[in-house]
Amino acid sequence: MSLSLKHLGTVWKYRNMLGQGLLVTVLLSLFTVLLGFVLAFLLAMMLISKKKALNVIADIYVQFVRCTPMLVQIFLVYYIIFGFIQLPKFTFLGFIQFERFFPAVVAMSLNSGGYMSDVIRGGIEGVDQGQKEAARCLGMSSSQTLHHIVLPQAIKNILPAFANEFVTIIKESSVCYTIGVQDIMFNVKSIQSGTFIIAEPLLMATFLYFCLCFPTSKLIKYVERRMRASDQR
Amino acid sequence: MTRDNAQSGKDALIQVKNLKKYYKGDKIKALDDVSININRGDVMVVIGPSGSGKSTFLRSLNLLEVPTSGSIIFDGTDITNEKIDIDKFRLRMGMVFQHFNLFPHKTVLENLTIAPILVKKMDRSEAEKMAMEKLDRVGLADRAGTYPVQLSGGQKQRVAIVRALCMNPEVMLFDEPTSALDPEMVGEVLDVMKELAHEGMTMVVVTHEMGFAREVGSRVVFMADGKMLEENTPEQIFTHPQHPRLQDFLRKVL
Repeated sequence: MSLSLKHLGTVWKYRNMLGQGLLVTVLLSLFTVLLGFVLAFLLAMMLISKKKALNVIADIYVQFVRCTPMLVQIFLVYYIIFGFIQLPKFTFLGFIQFERFFPAVVAMSLNSGGYMSDVIRGGIEGVDQGQKEAARCLGMSSSQTLHHIVLPQAIKNILPAFANEFVTIIKESSVCYTIGVQDIMFNVKSIQSGTFIIAEPLLMATFLYFCLCFPTSKLIKYVERRMRASDQR
Repeated sequence: MTRDNAQSGKDALIQVKNLKKYYKGDKIKALDDVSININRGDVMVVIGPSGSGKSTFLRSLNLLEVPTSGSIIFDGTDITNEKIDIDKFRLRMGMVFQHFNLFPHKTVLENLTIAPILVKKMDRSEAEKMAMEKLDRVGLADRAGTYPVQLSGGQKQRVAIVRALCMNPEVMLFDEPTSALDPEMVGEVLDVMKELAHEGMTMVVVTHEMGFAREVGSRVVFMADGKMLEENTPEQIFTHPQHPRLQDFLRKVL
């Protein structure tokens, strides 16, 4: 194996494919983080619920997500769940195949939701107990207390972890090429098999992932610092 | 609902009967069979060494601590009954905490108005007018728009007292309200409490401030090991303590 400028030149001709892959990776990650958050929030509510059954169900789910590989989860969702449920076959934005893209979003959201639920639960439980007591002593109901007092304060604990999860999702989404989602890695594979050039497409993919994740995590650090500054006032 | 006024003390706002709070089975007895009546207009000061159950007693009155057994009858209703809506009763009891527990993400004014608006469905402008009047009386009207972090400890506690008062409670519960304050700020908070007492507010105060107990209290209760060992006028408690534990306690704190 060798690296050469000539190879890089050849791969550059396929830059459109990598560009499309980049778009798919970004969309996949955005949809996942949003859907995953909704799921995570529901799971967190179940985890902090006083009903034992809800705790147990949510806990089993979270343990399942944590203790099985992401790749296996994607296959489970794609081949088993969406083996039974027929999705309409169409493309959107010109080239994104819905029947592959959608299961990938679902699988990654199920995974991300499981991880994030614990973060949200932690964020809610991290709010000083006295805050809850003060609100309840003023006659506020438990849902009013959660909504007006606990959640606004929990957000500060949750947001940084939530943004970090976004970076993780971008990276983990690279396994979705295995079910034919045309993300960055899928196009790398295509270029490799079309040109028999192995190294250079991989390097370009590495560069793309880095360019996605590095500014994002810098941005997160910046926002975190700003939030801490506003705490001190 | 249990009507229970026939028994001792028709004026009793809160009747505490055989209240017990055990932890770890019955190894730790935070409250060991406490019975007492709190009458309207009482300023009951609860004193005792730390770990004596004072705070647990106070926090049981509005069910922040759920007692193991016994009953608390508030204005004729047994609030330990699980079928009653405790929120309806909590709003009739104001509570002030050692660590203030102001809502840090809300301004002083919002801290005061959130419960009247949400719970009592008061009009926002009406709630704000009422809150400003009360805030003015503790000399903090100019701080209405600021956030709690910008206040000193004494100011925070005064705001916390006003926050409880904004619900027009029938009784105010104070859980060591000056213990977290720098010494120079204790006075300003005690002054507000003194004024409340003079206005006839029913108060239950857990405190280490013996001067306040003596000067403002109408009754003083001494607790140790989860029991109420002695209850009397401040005069009697401080000049003629009967129980050896109380004598010992007063020797140490006075």
